Parts: sequence; structure tokens; C-alpha cells
Amino acid sequence: MTAEKEILSIKSLTKLYGGVVAVNNVSFDVKEGEILSLIGPNGAGKTTIFNCITGLSRPTNGEILFNDNGKKAEISGKKKTLKPDAITSIGIARTFQNIRLFNNLTILNNVKIGRHPRSKKNFAGAILRTRSQKNEEKDILKSAVRYIVFVGLEGSIMEIASNLAYGDQRRLEIARALATEPKLFLLDEPAAGMNPKETGELMELIRRIRDMGITVLVIEHDMKVVMEISDRIVVLEYGKKIADGPPEEVKNDPAVVKAYLGTD
Amino acid sequence: MLKRIPRYSFYREKLSVSFSHNIKYFYGVLFLLVFFIPFFISNLYVIHTITLVMLYIILALGLNIIPGFTGLLDLGYVGFYAIGAYTAATLTYHLGEVVGPLSIFTNFWIIMPLAALNGAFWGILLGVPTLRLTGDYFAIVTFGFASLVELIIINEMWLTRGPMGIVMEHKPTLNLAFLYPITHHFYSEPLKFAFKGDIPFFYIIFFVVIITVIVMNRLENSRLGRAWFAIREDEIAAECSGINIMKYKVIAFAISASFGGIAGSIFAFWFKFASPESFKFWESILILCMVVLGGMGSIPGVILGTTVLVSLTEVIRVFLEPWPILVQSRFLVFGAILIIMMRFKPAGLIPLSRVKREMSSRDKSIIGAMDGSFYDITSGEKKLNSDR
Repeated sequence: MTAEKEILSIKSLTKLYGGVVAVNNVSFDVKEGEILSLIGPNGAGKTTIFNCITGLSRPTNGEILFNDNGKKAEISGKKKTLKPDAITSIGIARTFQNIRLFNNLTILNNVKIGRHPRSKKNFAGAILRTRSQKNEEKDILKSAVRYIVFVGLEGSIMEIASNLAYGDQRRLEIARALATEPKLFLLDEPAAGMNPKETGELMELIRRIRDMGITVLVIEHDMKVVMEISDRIVVLEYGKKIADGPPEEVKNDPAVVKAYLGTD
Repeated sequence: MLKRIPRYSFYREKLSVSFSHNIKYFYGVLFLLVFFIPFFISNLYVIHTITLVMLYIILALGLNIIPGFTGLLDLGYVGFYAIGAYTAATLTYHLGEVVGPLSIFTNFWIIMPLAALNGAFWGILLGVPTLRLTGDYFAIVTFGFASLVELIIINEMWLTRGPMGIVMEHKPTLNLAFLYPITHHFYSEPLKFAFKGDIPFFYIIFFVVIITVIVMNRLENSRLGRAWFAIREDEIAAECSGINIMKYKVIAFAISASFGGIAGSIFAFWFKFASPESFKFWESILILCMVVLGGMGSIPGVILGTTVLVSLTEVIRVFLEPWPILVQSRFLVFGAILIIMMRFKPAGLIPLSRVKREMSSRDKSIIGAMDGSFYDITSGEKKLNSDR
């Protein structure tokens, strides 16, 4: 995949927590259709960057621009920062490092909630059960089931989310995020705590998501996964970007080796 | 925390499945049972109690939206109940003598929706600034709201007559004179009813309860309801699923408040009297107890919880009449019941999970019709194709 258009541009992003510099003047682009990995030691600021992109935290400085086929949106700039729900509506979805599901709801309802930004019937529709509301509900159900099948959870569609096994909870979270029809998909440590078989299935799933035409930005610690799926890798250390390039190049970069292994 | 795993019981499983499958029949039987009660029971006290239970069902179902659906603790619900009652009382009191077009505002059928709107209005006004607060802070603000409403009622004498209360002269009437061209075939006079006594109110409230239950069921199974559930389960995940949290919390607050308003206006007409005494903070807690006892978020549960608590009050009042001290301390019994419930059945009498587990047959048929090749939901069998 060699598309040259940037779907997301991060320009000199800085985030301070009190006196702690979590992200320090980081700039990089995400190109349309690629799988970009964001790696770095613990505390390097990877999740903070994710939170800034999805609007959960407000950058101290810098710009984040989203460009979906000419539809431009300023997620965060000098004047304003979009709210998380607005960012999801323009086409950015994410999963969380510590899985966040709607625990007491069924799998079907979890994914149906993901359809929220792509549907619009509200109070009046719900009470009057108009024909258009019924049709919309039908569409929500259909596409929810489609995404559940896509991640392979159709066997437990009416199960309560908290009853699922760990790996399945990850996949449910992915299905819910996909249901919002993102153009850019952020995965925060998807392979954490998974056995090699589950990891293999996950890599396969991430590739299938990319093949749907969705750009994937992933934080991952498992180097095997990173090297295998990434088109490009951005490496962070102490909030600064130290490398940016294809896997082979990054693997041999002296700064990266130093960050991970230290020097003698 | 250790979680006690319930012993597997075939009959329990069977019961829970049949209950959730047959919820329609449950409502149907309940409907027939309650509808014909006045035909069999002539004891007015029993009728009165059942009417009271139904009034509280409206209140409890309205409140249920906040802690049950959206997951916020609301201690000020009685404020909206009071606003509804005083909408009715002040309108009839101040416009009672007026003739002309304004007199329409003393009509029960006009006042009821007005009370709902008024409740919703104050709900939004309270909700917009305070719903940014979370958890206990929000509960404290709502508690303040209930006290504020009570103080305003007591002190604004020109509007509410303060602690003296307002006696309601007006009775709801149903004027069907405009149907005379049709009805004169079987009745010579124009149809006009004036409601007085308990039985007409029994049917008015019964009618409103049915509407409330239908509305709640529809909300629960809609995009709006799912947005509330998402907020209840995890606010951050809800935000990242594209739900505008503030907006949906305010909507929840407004709808809940409007049901409080409706119940309040009916209460004022039924008891023909509105005074600040009826809207003490305690009432809020009582309604909240009904919701918690039945099972937060579960509509049949809330109905059951309300029935148990309200009728228990009356039962205690009747049976313990010789010992007034025990009657006054009946709230101790409530406390004991709630503690026992929290120990043995923390999710309520009819927990939400029991009600909502099964997929409705309509959903099954839709999924089945989508694409026969792709997934047979009824047998649970996977029919995956490689091309997808």
C-alpha cells in the first residue's frame, strides 16, 4: 500500500501534566491505507498521543489535523479542540489499553451502541415507533451483526460482555469501534496479555481491517507483531520522537537500539 | 471482591427464560387483572391503595431513567413531583374564576401535559449546569434542588399560598359533547363526565401507567436508551463511541422530570389539595427505594418494587393500628428490608440481566432474513463463508 495522502497530521504536539512533559514537540503523519505502529518504552507518551487524537486530553500545544479525502477537520489547534464524540463522528475510532466495554450489556447491544454516530433517531422516533425509526433499527441490527461476524464473535451474540474471555473482549471492543465506521482506527496495545495463537488471529484481523480501507495506527509492545504488520514505525522515548521509518530501517537505527537495550 | 456463584438450578434457568420470553403475557395478565378490579372489589380503601400504588409506579418508572438507565444518583426527584402538583394547583387557583379563553388552563387534560412540560423545563434548567458533576457531587446538588423547591413553595405566598396549601376546587371533566352527532343514536343527552371519587381516578391513573410502561419499554429498546446504558456502563467508552454525554444526560433528566410533573398534576387533582407537606425530601428517598428494591433499570422490577413498598405501608398501617408507635416507625421496616435485599439480592427483585438477556423473536427473524447463507442465529451454528 503506497498511498501518499496524509489522513492525519500531528504537528509539534506537546502535552504537559503539571511539570511532567508527557509529549515533547512530536510531529508525524499517518498516510492513508497504511498500518503505522507507535512504539517506545513505558512512559514514552504513546497513550497520551492517542488521548490527544481522540479528544480525551487537550494538547498543551501543537496541531492535529484530520483529512479524509479532502474533508478536512481540525481536531486540535490554536482555537479549539473537538470533543471525543465529535471526533468519533468524523471518523476516528479507538480501543483502550485496559479494555473498556459496556460490561452489563449483551455483545449485540455493545456493537449497536457503536452505530450511534451513524444513526440519528431520537426521542420522538423512539416513542412513536415511526416507520423510519423501525427501518433505522433494522439497519443498526444488520450492521451490528455484520461487525460481530467480522471479528468472529457470532457464537455468543447474546452473551453479557463481562462474561467473555479476555481475547474475545478485545475483539468485541474492536467490533464496537469498527461499527462507528472509522477512516482511522487507533488500537492501544491490542496484543497485551494474549497467547501466541490469539496474537496470530489478531494480526490477521488487523490486516483485514486495513483491507477494508481503514488506516490503522497501533501501539504495541510485542515486537514480533510490530515488525510483522507495520508498514511504518514511529519510535518515541521520553515524549520525543527518535525514529520514523519502515521496520527494517527502524530495527537497525542506533537511537532505537539504545532506547531499548541501552549502551555500554 | 469475591462473587458468590449461584448454584445452577434447572428450574431457575427455565423460569428466567420463560419470564423474559413471556414478558408480553406478564403485562397482559396484569392489565386484565387490574382493569377489572373495581368490578369485583367494592372496598374503597383497597381501590384507593391500588390507585396509590399506580401513582407511585408512574413516579418510580420516571425516576428509573436517571439511576437505572443513565446511572446517576438523583435525590431531588420529589422536586419535579412538587412542580407538577403546583402547576396544577396554581393554575386552577389563580385562573379558577376566569371566563374566556384562559379558562382552558384549568382543564385537567390541558394541565397534565403542561405539568410535564414544566417539569421538563426545570429539569433542563437544573441539568445543564449540574450534570457536569459526577457521582456524589451530583447527588448533593439534586438534594439541594428538592429543598429549594420546598422552600420556594413555602415562601412565595402570593403564588402558592405557602404552608396553607391550595385546595383544588376543580374536578377533571371529560366533555364529549362534540361527539353528540354520533352518540345521540344511543344516548339522548350530550356525553359529559365529571370525575370525582376514587374510581375515575383509578382509571385515569391506570391509563397513564399503561402509557408510561409503553414509553419506557420503547425508550429502553431504542438508540436513545442504548446511549443512556452506554453512559451508565462507561462514560469514556460512550464518548469514544460518538455519544454526546451531556446532551443525553440532559435528555434523560428532562424526560424523567416530565413524568414526575405528570404524576404531580394527577396527585393534586386526586387529593384536591397541594401543600408543601406532601413533597418532603423523604418522598424522594422512598421512590428511590422502590427503584432499588425492584431492580435498577428493570421495568417489571420497578413495578414490583413499588407495589411491594407502597402496599406494605398500607398493610402496616392497618395491622399495627392498635400500636401507633409501631406505625410511626414503619420506615424502620423499610430500612431492614433494603438491608436484607442488599445482602441477598443486590440486583433487586427482578434484576435487569434476567429481563434483557433473550433476543426478541423480531430480531431473530430480521437477522435470519438478512442473508440465509451467512449465519443461522436460531441454531447457533456458524455458517461462515471465506469470501467475507
